[in-house]
Amino acid sequence: MGFVPYTTLSSLRTLKCCRLMSMYPPHFAEPILKKDSEIINKKDVSHVPIKAAPNDLSDSIFYGVLKNKLLKYITKKGNGSLAKQLLTDTLETIKRTQIERLNLINAEKENVIIDTERILVNAIENSRPLLQLSEIKRGGVKYQVPIPLTEKKSYFLAMKWLLDAAREKDRKVHLPDKLAWEILDAAHGQGRVIKKKDDLHRQCESNRAYAHYRWS
Amino acid sequence: MRIPGALYAARGRAPQNEKEVPFQEILPLRLKNTVSGKADSGSDVACLQEMGVLFACLKDNEFVEKYCNKEINQFQKCYKFYMDRKFEAKKTVNQGIVQPGNNLNYKQLNKYMRRFPNPQ
Repeated sequence: MGFVPYTTLSSLRTLKCCRLMSMYPPHFAEPILKKDSEIINKKDVSHVPIKAAPNDLSDSIFYGVLKNKLLKYITKKGNGSLAKQLLTDTLETIKRTQIERLNLINAEKENVIIDTERILVNAIENSRPLLQLSEIKRGGVKYQVPIPLTEKKSYFLAMKWLLDAAREKDRKVHLPDKLAWEILDAAHGQGRVIKKKDDLHRQCESNRAYAHYRWS
Repeated sequence: MRIPGALYAARGRAPQNEKEVPFQEILPLRLKNTVSGKADSGSDVACLQEMGVLFACLKDNEFVEKYCNKEINQFQKCYKFYMDRKFEAKKTVNQGIVQPGNNLNYKQLNKYMRRFPNPQ
């Protein structure tokens, strides 16, 4: 399995800066997800005003930050229930495929991951890019300059690439099937998304001489 | 008889009458009471060395990331550190607390100069 750091996924959810147009003054606290969390001292929070909880936040064991994000990227025209159905179908296909694989092979059964959430996380972590190419104009010529990515943006790109790969399909193939295959491929460190990421890294490497063009 | 123009030229051109051509102040001839914040924004370049190390490692290992965990972590840590510092710096600038000293940012300078403006 590839490089899975399990970095601070919470950065996807919480904003670092106070938003300028936020309806809440800066002294409002973020809502707390886990009821029995040991981190919070309840006396500290008791008299602090707290922001209203987002309606997609949940204490359920089926809740996952990455899953929730992916759900929002799947959504088209605000049809969240359809997106949810699609993701559920995807995860079901992954589960069925993995169980089939488990029953087919005889040895090394513990190497087959059946936990779909873990497969999803692995797939996204494997397809996260490290760098990005940005166009900078110098002397009338546009150069592709490699620049570092923030964590949030890299997660976004990984999920976008997975979805783009899944949406590029025949009309007769359903999105959940294609998405499941892409996710399984990416989780095993192969497939189109991983290739795309590697291509980007190669391109960044060949353009590394331009890296100092970011002075400006 | 025509007089050749060269004869006039030998005496040179007469100076213009100052009253006919009054001095125009195109831009005001005094300094502004503000400075722009451009210089304080700094350059956006960071972690070039880490990026070079990462590229070298990736090239050696044919772009397989799991052999370059150390370099990747270093690179990401560096960028995160840089962004955090930038964020903190921006926050202190926006607070705009004026303290004595010569190392002032543009907002503090502007506050000072608003108190002691140029005479009109």
